Amino acid sequence: MKIGRVCACFVLLILFAGFVSAESVAAGQLSADEIVDKANIAAYYAGDDGRATVKMTITDNQGRKRYREFNILRKDDGPDGGEQKFYVYFKRPSDVKGMVFMVHKHPGKDDDRWLYLPALDLVKRIAASDKRTSFVGSDFYYEDVSGRGVDEDEHKLLKSDDKFYLIECRPKDPGSVEFSRYQVWIDKQSFMPVKAEYYDKENTLYRRVEALEIKDVQGFPTVLRSRVENLAAGGKTVSEFSRIKYDIGLKDDIFTERYLRRPPRQARR
Amino acid sequence: MKIGERMVRFGVVHPRLVTIVMVVTTVILAALMVQVKVDTDPENMLSRKEPVRIFHNQVKKVFDLYDVVVLGIVNEQDRDGVFNPDTLRKVEELTDYIRTLSWPDPDHPGHQIGVVKRNLIAPGTVDSIEQAGPGQVRFAWLMPKAPATREAAARIRQLALDNPLLNGTLVSEDGRALAIYIPITSKDLAYRIKKALEKKIAGFKGPEEYHITGLPVAEDTFGVEMFIQMAISAPLAMLFIFLLMYYFFRQMKLIMAPMIIAMVTVLCTMGLLIGTGNTLHIMSSMIPIFLMPVAVVDSIHILSEFFDEYQQIGDRRRTIEQVMKKLFMPMLYTSLTSAAGFFSLALTPIPPVQVFGIFVGLGISLAWVLTMLFVPAYVMLMKDASLEGFGHPLDDGDAAANSWTHRFLAWLSRTTYVRAKLIILVSLVLVGVSAYGISLIKINDNPVKWFTKSHPIRVADRVLNKHFGGTYEAYLVIDPVRTLEGPVSDQWRAQLRADALAAVGPGAEKNAVDSILGRELTALAGRGLDQRGFLRQLSRNLQKAQDDAASDELYDALSPVIDLVDRRLEELEIFKRPDVLRYLDRLQAAMQDHALVGKSNSIVQVVKKVYQELLSGKPGDYRLPERQKAVAQCLISFQNSHKPEDLWHLVTPDYRRANIWVQLHSGDNQDMEAVVSLVKQFISQNPPPVALKFRWAGLTYINVVWQDKMVAGMLRSLSGSFVIVLIMMVILFRSPVWGIIAMVPLSLTIALIYGIIGLIGKDYDMPVAVLSSLTLGMAVDFAIHFLERTRMAYKECGSWRQASQAMFEAPARAIFRNIIVIAVGFTPLLLAPLMPYKTVGVFLASIMLISGLATIIILPAILTLGQGFLFRRVAKRRIE
Repeated sequence: MKIGRVCACFVLLILFAGFVSAESVAAGQLSADEIVDKANIAAYYAGDDGRATVKMTITDNQGRKRYREFNILRKDDGPDGGEQKFYVYFKRPSDVKGMVFMVHKHPGKDDDRWLYLPALDLVKRIAASDKRTSFVGSDFYYEDVSGRGVDEDEHKLLKSDDKFYLIECRPKDPGSVEFSRYQVWIDKQSFMPVKAEYYDKENTLYRRVEALEIKDVQGFPTVLRSRVENLAAGGKTVSEFSRIKYDIGLKDDIFTERYLRRPPRQARR
Repeated sequence: MKIGERMVRFGVVHPRLVTIVMVVTTVILAALMVQVKVDTDPENMLSRKEPVRIFHNQVKKVFDLYDVVVLGIVNEQDRDGVFNPDTLRKVEELTDYIRTLSWPDPDHPGHQIGVVKRNLIAPGTVDSIEQAGPGQVRFAWLMPKAPATREAAARIRQLALDNPLLNGTLVSEDGRALAIYIPITSKDLAYRIKKALEKKIAGFKGPEEYHITGLPVAEDTFGVEMFIQMAISAPLAMLFIFLLMYYFFRQMKLIMAPMIIAMVTVLCTMGLLIGTGNTLHIMSSMIPIFLMPVAVVDSIHILSEFFDEYQQIGDRRRTIEQVMKKLFMPMLYTSLTSAAGFFSLALTPIPPVQVFGIFVGLGISLAWVLTMLFVPAYVMLMKDASLEGFGHPLDDGDAAANSWTHRFLAWLSRTTYVRAKLIILVSLVLVGVSAYGISLIKINDNPVKWFTKSHPIRVADRVLNKHFGGTYEAYLVIDPVRTLEGPVSDQWRAQLRADALAAVGPGAEKNAVDSILGRELTALAGRGLDQRGFLRQLSRNLQKAQDDAASDELYDALSPVIDLVDRRLEELEIFKRPDVLRYLDRLQAAMQDHALVGKSNSIVQVVKKVYQELLSGKPGDYRLPERQKAVAQCLISFQNSHKPEDLWHLVTPDYRRANIWVQLHSGDNQDMEAVVSLVKQFISQNPPPVALKFRWAGLTYINVVWQDKMVAGMLRSLSGSFVIVLIMMVILFRSPVWGIIAMVPLSLTIALIYGIIGLIGKDYDMPVAVLSSLTLGMAVDFAIHFLERTRMAYKECGSWRQASQAMFEAPARAIFRNIIVIAVGFTPLLLAPLMPYKTVGVFLASIMLISGLATIIILPAILTLGQGFLFRRVAKRRIE
């Protein structure tokens, strides 16, 4: 088996799906790694750049709801599957309005991450550690936002029916993550990952990520609604994407430390 | 009287029928015991509907809290304490093992019971926030994997000690100990978890010590050991009673009768208890031990008397009828009074105590019926040969035993007559001393202290509370008072509309915004919402309007309006307000001054720690930010960790309810009460910046509440039954004076016993409280027998002097035998490793001894002094 690259594991930002034409895929001939690569690109690399407004509803096991709203800007550097930059501007709750989270994603090595807190007038680098920490208190992980590193897992094609590939991913460094394995269902047509299920070290299913609604935006299959279920605690987070646009010609300097304190208009609106 | 005679005659005439009915009933009722349901939870001392329990459960749910088993790992030998690679590797292995301790729930398919993995607190499962070079901060597991080097281990130690949320909770300040907090789905799994841990730990070698504690462990372990105790102590007590009776009566066949009655009574009562759907609780597990002495007492009176009179009369039927005639009234009344004492427990507000009282009362009634029917039947069924050579004082062994008793009683007879005044004087002095002792009584309980000092749980409790901030938890829950927000008035809405419009900059969209605002404000007006609910709904509706906005301009124009509404809402999130947080901080500092409060954690420590690490990591930056927005941004930063939900143990997501998690070194009620009153005092001297309501929850606090109820309830039931017994005595003796005299030994016994408890400093705890009712029921028995028989003797002899000599023959002997049998019979309980059983053993022995002695010493002295007055009417009635 070839050394696998990414299980494009599940994603908050599936909005930027790369378009993969159906005929380029010799049916059933793809290896697990190739499927995963295509899924990674479909889920994270739609267009050369893009923006979206995301409304998150975090519901805990008691039905208590919390809301987050932010705009997200993305720009790719180089070919699909390569370097990317993200700029996340928070609008709600209003007491964290203006907070910015920025990522320079380097596949194969640690990402660079920054946090800007306006009330503290503070820019803080977030040091490399594992990325499976919560994204602002939601059930999404940071890794779900920027994509899990391509060659961090071994992939195995478990099943292939007329609609989905079912891929099993096992971490190469089990000590670095909280799961022992996960399974991803990948749509055969669009190569969009539509569901992922995570098992803990005791092999109990504890987490499920699903795309609830996928729609074509500017020719890219794009997730409009996704959900993470925390099956251990009983909570869930639903993300709704709106005002999605691809290929808007974002400038490179937006994604620099300087702009954390001065968010560009594209980010604020 | 006639009923009594008929009952006895029935037993005499139909001995077989009586026996068969008894055996069949017992078998049927005993069979019900197989469906036993055990309940070892002291929380059930309070009714499920008790407000404090409802609140406690609500708090557990709201803050996602579970009952916790604490596993402590101590290394006193390594120079770095537990922070060396080898110990930490064991900690890691244990953590991994603990995560496997959950099982499918047999009652709810698809659910798991056991350890709540996601809330486990261990070095590998908690996050640390730390400096990672200039301008960098890192969120990482404290111990993602066990370190390979001493340096790495020391770093983990430093990180943990620098985190106020972990220092004193997860690690001890000296680095010698580390604690894993294991949340469990329900308390009754604590013993199972403990056993599993012990098995795992047994496979480890090395200098580490392991300790398992926490209230759930103590409570559940107690439940398990309680059954072992019941299986050992109760039969052992039975054996002792048997041996002593054998010593006194030397007739195996004869003493079988009381043994059978005791067995039948216990089996039937427990069968009935379980069969009626009651759980076997710590309280009801003690029923057999309480019933046994009461059940044998009457039979011993009968046998003692039968034993003495059989030789004179010679005919068993006539002897037993004679004996029963003499003893019927005293036995009826002793049973009635004992039963009344226990039935009065039904008046306490504590369900398990009510059940206990009712069933002991039923058991006593049953024992009485059995005594009336079965003892005569049993005597009739004995073979003639068994009765041969039976009685007093013919054979040598008996003579020796009797002469010893005999001489003592003869001496008592003289002394009580000659030294009556001295006896009364000494008694009064004792009452005085007791009153002083009672004034010293400390009302206190702690389920951990139900184990003996050397029990592993007590040892673990001591060791872990020495190293950590405390293994006893209480929660101080804080809510704003309901009146904080006003109602939605027309004026308030108009003001809101004006403010919102002012926020919109000049432009063409202003009118569109105003019409949307007007529409939404009107739509929500009639909904009966308070200001908070109104603003929340308004924000949601405005966001919807924004999503539907026809133009980008309208979208932009609506943003400041939504911001304004959200800001108004955030003002109501009071536990983000710096002034409120500063107040909590001061309150916590005040609590910390109490020696037994190890530490307390709240949202304040979270905010301070995050703020510190965001700024510089320096100790001077460990403080609260000045502005609410800064607090909010610290909190959202915290939520970027592995376990953002940890925040919701300390505050609700709407920031409207906070929880101060208090760790105490002691689970004693009086210590918890001291902390409660300290907080109350702080609040009254330092009014909070907004009107707040403070309420306590947590197991340690619940114990305080039921203890308070227990004491008050017991006191009420004790005084209630005292009055009932007094009335019964007055009726029995048809004389208020004699009734009061009958209460003397009992009153003295209660006074003395509680006086001694106060003097020796024993805590007035659950078993002691319950035993007060036993004292009442049992202590009056001897007095009834003594006085009733005295009056009979007086009627025969005509003078107290002569009657007194007769009294110190057979009647006193019966009382004396009873005292010895029961006092000694309960000494096996002293060997129990569970304190409540020890307490019961000591108590029963003391009650018997003191009330028995008080009866045969003080009553004759009183009668001697008051004979002229007291016997006048007895004599008169005799003449009639």
